[in-house]
Parts: sequence; C-alpha cells; structure tokens
Amino acid sequence: MRQLVASLMLVLLLAGSAAAAGKVYVYNWTEYIPEQVLSRFTEETGIEVVYTTYDSNEAMYAKVKLLGGEGYDVVVPSTYFVNKMRREGLLTPLDRSLLPHFGNLNPAILDKPYDPGNEFSVPYLWGGTGIMVNADYVDPTEVQSWKGLWSEALKGRLLLQNDLREVFGIGLLLKGYSLNDTNPEHIAEVYELLRTLIPSVRVFNSDSPKLAFLGEEVAGGMIWNGEAHMALQEMESLKFVWPREGGILWMDNFVIPKGARNLENAHAFINFMLRPDVAAMCCEEYGYPTPNVSALGLLPDDLRNSPVVFPPDEVVERSEFQNDVGDAILVYEQYWQKLKAGK
Amino acid sequence: MRTTNLFKRLSIGGAALWLTIFAVLPFVLIAGTSFLTRDEGTFVSLRFSLQGYAGIADPVFVEVLRQSLYLASGATLLCLVVGYPFAYTLARWRGRGKAVLLLLVIIPFWTNSLLRTYALVFLLKGKGLVSAVLVWFGIVDQPVSLLYTELAVFIGLVYTLLPFMILPLYASLEKLDNSLLEAARDLGANRLQTFMRVTVPLTMPGIIAGSMMVFLPALGMFYIPDLLGGGKHVIAGNFIKDQFLTARDWPVGSAASVVLTLLMACLLLAYHASSRRVHRHGAQGFDGGKA
Amino acid sequence: MSMLRRLLGLLPVYVFLYLPIAVLITFAFNDSKYSVSWKGFTWKWFGKLLENTQLMDAAVNSLTVAVLSASAATVLGVLAAVALYRYRFQGKRLMQSALFVVMVSPDIVMGVALLVLFMTLGLKPGFLTLFLAHTTFCLPFVTVTVSSRLAGFDGHLLEAAQDLGAGEFRAFRHVLLPMLFPAVLAGWLLSFTLSMDDVIISFFVTGPEFDILPLRVYSMVRLGVKPDVNALSAIMFGLTVVIVFTSQLLLRRKR
Repeated sequence: MRQLVASLMLVLLLAGSAAAAGKVYVYNWTEYIPEQVLSRFTEETGIEVVYTTYDSNEAMYAKVKLLGGEGYDVVVPSTYFVNKMRREGLLTPLDRSLLPHFGNLNPAILDKPYDPGNEFSVPYLWGGTGIMVNADYVDPTEVQSWKGLWSEALKGRLLLQNDLREVFGIGLLLKGYSLNDTNPEHIAEVYELLRTLIPSVRVFNSDSPKLAFLGEEVAGGMIWNGEAHMALQEMESLKFVWPREGGILWMDNFVIPKGARNLENAHAFINFMLRPDVAAMCCEEYGYPTPNVSALGLLPDDLRNSPVVFPPDEVVERSEFQNDVGDAILVYEQYWQKLKAGK
Repeated sequence: MRTTNLFKRLSIGGAALWLTIFAVLPFVLIAGTSFLTRDEGTFVSLRFSLQGYAGIADPVFVEVLRQSLYLASGATLLCLVVGYPFAYTLARWRGRGKAVLLLLVIIPFWTNSLLRTYALVFLLKGKGLVSAVLVWFGIVDQPVSLLYTELAVFIGLVYTLLPFMILPLYASLEKLDNSLLEAARDLGANRLQTFMRVTVPLTMPGIIAGSMMVFLPALGMFYIPDLLGGGKHVIAGNFIKDQFLTARDWPVGSAASVVLTLLMACLLLAYHASSRRVHRHGAQGFDGGKA
Repeated sequence: MSMLRRLLGLLPVYVFLYLPIAVLITFAFNDSKYSVSWKGFTWKWFGKLLENTQLMDAAVNSLTVAVLSASAATVLGVLAAVALYRYRFQGKRLMQSALFVVMVSPDIVMGVALLVLFMTLGLKPGFLTLFLAHTTFCLPFVTVTVSSRLAGFDGHLLEAAQDLGAGEFRAFRHVLLPMLFPAVLAGWLLSFTLSMDDVIISFFVTGPEFDILPLRVYSMVRLGVKPDVNALSAIMFGLTVVIVFTSQLLLRRKR
C-alpha cells in the first residue's frame, strides 16, 4: 500500500514537472523533423513541442519580422536568412553553456561568414544543388560541368529549380563569380547567359523535383542532393553529378528569435537535436548530410559513404554557401521576372 | 420604413462596419504603401515616393498582365461552356436527388486543392492515365505528356474553379420561369431562339456572377501554372507574391495590386456601360461595382 | 426527356470532378513513399495518420474555422446583398467597391495587410484573426451569388407584403429569404470551400497555437507530399459522402 502511494506521488510529481516544463514553439518546414524525434523529446523532457510550418525562407522571414520575432521559440532559416535576421537584430544570442552537445559539430562547417563564431545559429542539416540526369537519354559524362545543361540532349527536357538564387547560381558559377555576387553588371552578364538556357526548360520546379525525374518528364536538370538520393533509390538509370565549378550549398540552422518566451526550452530542444542518435535519425530520414560528426558512426554504411549525400571534401572546397545579397536582390528579382516572362 | 427601420439599419450597418474595418482599411494601407519607399531593414520607410509605380512601368509587368488576363479569360470561358449546360440540366431536374446531385458538385472541392492538383499531375503525365487512354483509343500512337503545357494549366484552372461558375448559374437558372419559355415557343420561337433570346438574358446576372468568381481568383492562382504548366507562366498573383516575399519590395507589390484592382474595375465598368446601352435597364444590387 | 439521358449529360462533368479524387484516394493505399507508381496495397498510411496527431488537430481546426466563417460570411453577405438591392443609402458605392476590392486583391496582399491591421488592433494571431480574415474573403462571394438571384426579382412582392402590414424583417424572412434560399446555400458552400482551401492569407494571420490543414499540406512540398495526407483526405472524403447520403435518407424518411 505504501509503495502504491509512493509511486502515485511519484507519478503526480512527474506529471507536475511535465506541466511545469511547458512548451516550446518550433517554426519549421513541414516534416523536416521526424515525428518520432519530436515525441521522444517530449517523453524525455516533458516539454511539449508545438510545431508549425512554413514553405519558404522568404515567407517565414516576412512573418517573423512582422510579428517582431515574437511567438516562436525555435526557427530554422537557411544560411542567408540567418545573416539577414542576425544583422536586423531579430535573433537572440545562444547560450553555449546550455548546449553541451554543440561539440559534436564538424568544425569545418562552423564559423562561416553568415554567422561568425556561430553566436546565433546551430547547423541542423545542409546540402547542395548538383546535376541529375537520366542516363537513358543523356550521357552523364556530358554534364560534368554546369555547361552540360546546355547539351542538345536536354533540349525541352530540362528541369530548373523555381528559385532565382539557385538558377542564377548556375550562371554565376560558370562565369567564375561568387554565388553571392552583388555587382549589377555581373548579374546582367549572367542573365544574358541564362537567357540562352530558357528555351530548353521543360519545367521550373522546386516542389519535389524528383517526381518529374521519376515520371521521366525530364531527362536532366538541377536538384538538391537529398532529393536526388531519394530518387536514385527508386530508379536505376538516374545519375547524380557534382559539377566541376562546384555545387550551390545551403545550410538550415536552428536560431532563437528575439521575442522567444521559452528560452530554456528552446536551448533544450536545440541541444536535443544535436545529440548524435537524433542527428543520425534526421539524416537517414531525409538524405541530407548532417554536420554532426559524432552521428556519422551511427549511420548505415551506404548512406555514410554516398558521395551524393555527403559531397566529397574537394567538392565542398570548390563550392560556396549561399549568403544574403542585400539590396542586390532587387536586381536579381528584376532579371528573374524577365527570364520567366520570356522578355 | 414605416414599422421599423431596425432591419434596414442592421443590414446596412453590419455589412458596412465589417467591410470598413476588414476591407477598406487594409486597402487604404496597401494604397498608402504603394506611395512609400522600400527599406531593406523595415520593409517600408515613411517617405513619399513613386518608386513603386516606376517599378511596374516595365514591359515585364505588362507581359505579366497579358498572360494573367489570357489565362483567366480562357478559364472563365471554358468554365462557362462546361458549366452552363450542366447547371441548366441540373436546374431543370425534376426527379429525386436534386440536392444530392448539387452537393456532389462541391464535395470534391473540400479536399485540399494542392493534393487534387498533384492528382491531376499524375493523370496528365506521359506515363499517366490520360495518355494511356488516348493510346488505347488510337487517338495517338505514342504516349503523350500533357503535363507542363498550356492545356494542362487550363484543365487545372477549370478543375479548381468550376463550382464557382456552376453554383451561381444554378441559383439563377433555378428560378427561371417555365411559362416564359413556353410563351416564347407559342410565339413561334425555336429552341435556339428561345435559349438565346429568353434563357440567356434572364440568367445574365448568374453568368456575370459566375464569371467574376472564376475570373478574379484565376488571376492569383499561381500554384496551378507552377505545378501543371511547369512554372513558365508568370501571372499577377505570382508577380505580386515575389515582390512581397523574395524582393521584399512592398511598394512595387502594392502598386501592382492597386493597378490590378483599378484595371479590373475599369473592365467591369466598361462592361456595364456597354450592356446598359444594349438593355437600357441594368440589374440592381451588387454585380460588380455599378450603382 | 428521359431522366437517363439527362443523367448521361451530367456524367462527363462528374467524371472530370471525381477522377482526380479517385487517384488521390488510390494513393492512400499505395505502398510507396512517393505517389509515382503503384507499388502494392497497404493500410499502413492510415496507421501513420493516427500517430500524426498534429495533422488530425489541424484538420479539426480547419473544419471549425470553415464552418464558423462560412456561416458568418453568409449572414453578412446576404444582409449586404439585400441592403444593396433594397435600399438607397450613403456609402452604397463604397460598400460595392469594398466587396470588389476583396475579390480582386491577391491573397498575399490581403494576408500582409490584414496581419498589419490585426497587429495594430492588438489582436494576437490565432483562431480569432483567422476567423475574421476568412469571413472577410468569403463575404463577397456570398453577396455576388445572392445578388445575382435578386437581380430581376419583382420588388412589388415585397411592397405587397408590407402593404399587408409585414415589417421589414418579416417581409425579408417570409418573402425574400425563401426565394433566395438556393443562392444562400450556394454562397455558404462556396465560402466553406474557400475557407477549407486558403493557404496564403491564413499563413500570415494565424499564430503558432492554431495550425490548419492547408498550411501543413502546402509546406510539405519541399519534401514531397506523404501518403498519410492522402489517407486523411480519403477519410474526410468518405465521411462527407456518408454524411450527405445518410442525411438525405433521413430527410426522405421524415417526409
């Protein structure tokens, strides 16, 4: 009897602590954290995760900015928005003492120009855009360079991302400029180059481009490596290439907006996501590389050794991460509309 | 008027109050923003400027408008061609189950439109059902992909907007007085004449209502050209969204929205002016901005 | 004029409307992560769905908002249509313009403008703001539908009713409303549909506490739509059909 009372009290105590543990408001892309990861976090910490979603960095930024950074505890912007939000004072500096698992991250991927010293951001997953072709239509050796997208075999069967930074990235890399070039003359040059590619395009798609490949609607095009990884498992004839000029890299990062109410819970959540087993789970689920070195050992061999998922070092060296381009976005946007409207 | 004015006050006041707060105020905000200056840090800064309008005085915006009007009017016409005979038959339905037949028109639209658009992608692609059926009937010898074509965009727009044509048409066809049709026949009109001279003019308000409810939303439905048309069409909704989100140029986005609104209003007013000349009497109430 | 022939005339449109739904539901049973080709039958997505409580919550939230805002929009929209038809008053033109502006404004413009407005009014983004926004963008659709039925309506009937001593409200209730009923119903159904499907306006005006289904589905695009959403759609579709047909059966028995 006494035991029963004791255990009941323990349950009540635990329930009480769970309630006191409260909530953490996570704002992220849909299904960008596996469901079981979220439920395990709640089991272990008693903190409830309220998970709401957005579909693009731009939309997330507009909303967080309009709300003055209030309402959300953890947000997951890509590199170039980390930079922008950081400079505009929308972020809270992280308390490294609450993030003991931070040491699991690959130092090579930390301290980048978008957030020196990682004062505000913690990398979650990263990835890059390369070229994928269907070998039944196009010889993969023809697309070792971004120039390969102009190949005769891809006329009318080409897929480009429906994203101006990605598409202009092709031209910038080919011209030898930085992915984050802000010189209007360079952008104009790239526009002239890309204009000759547009007639080959069958579809502009950033909504799961793998489907167009799997349905054989397109024979080649640019694609994120995680998408490519999933597509390669479904279809033999698809081949993925990291182009000679380099890939277009991005990284999604956990940040805490300045109006966050549950700072401790937010740190607890980010720290949990940095745990090797959790990071490995996320990497396996989505096929995007994890920056978590300690997680690598927990991954299946074929995933860990896949050059598609984990771009080899020499690829990373010649590639660049996307960064904020400031006011130059207006120039890009103008040329992008021109490209799309066919003028 | 005599007994009580409460109902009158309530009906005018309720709608007027709501619209003032949630429609007029936001529009004033947007119209105001269109005369401000873009600011990278705070979206807009409170300095008067015509940059917004200068930003859309560009052949690209004209091209965007042209493409939007083309797609929207094509979709409206197709919806009318498909929807009118359907609504006509349904409205004249004498048997049981009329309510069910009507509900069956709208039920598919309670499923998420993005999912339905993905289903259309599956149907229209080269390895899809439509292509297989065409091959089977010998209409084409090789599988064809209708995906990422203009035809696919029109199919998608009609598929998404059809009930917005059928329902108002039904509501106005259903009250059509049979005796008028019989009278026309008695006077020697044949079927076609009766239809053109009696049915169509009497259901004109329904046609206009349906057309407005298809045409105006079609200007903004960018996910259909994006998913089914391969993202090769830039329409007004798309352009304005990009201005607000990607370029973060609110003055240009707002100016584009204001110009679009004015342009549509002009189209409607021109239509009313011409139809009033033809018919002399105009319909009462709200059918698009005439008094 | 055989009934069968008429039904055959309606059939192609129904096929057009239901074929994609059939595809969508089929893929809820497809043993493949991506809806590309048929990989065998499975129930597993329904199991996954039951685990996905957030998706289910979002669906319930969506239905709640859609029913409430469609009803509010119908009441306001009908009143507006009647007011515009019956009365002369100051600001009539303004009211018409406001309705028109709501219909023309691109979603992103409405979304951003309403969010700024709600913040100014001190309203926290969430259920209430979502309800206000949805009612607003549904309202003109009701008014247009009802107005099109009012057009050409013989005003003498109302005057006759009033000569017989009926007040404005009773004349509305007993003469106008029964005549308008099909349009009122159509307006409600269209509003419900619009509300269930809105993404962009909702994205801006809702808050973290209140997530709705279209937002979850829409933001899935980056990683591809998962079949558990198809499973949810299949269940919702099935329920709708069951409700419609049983209610019809019950109505018939009542008679």
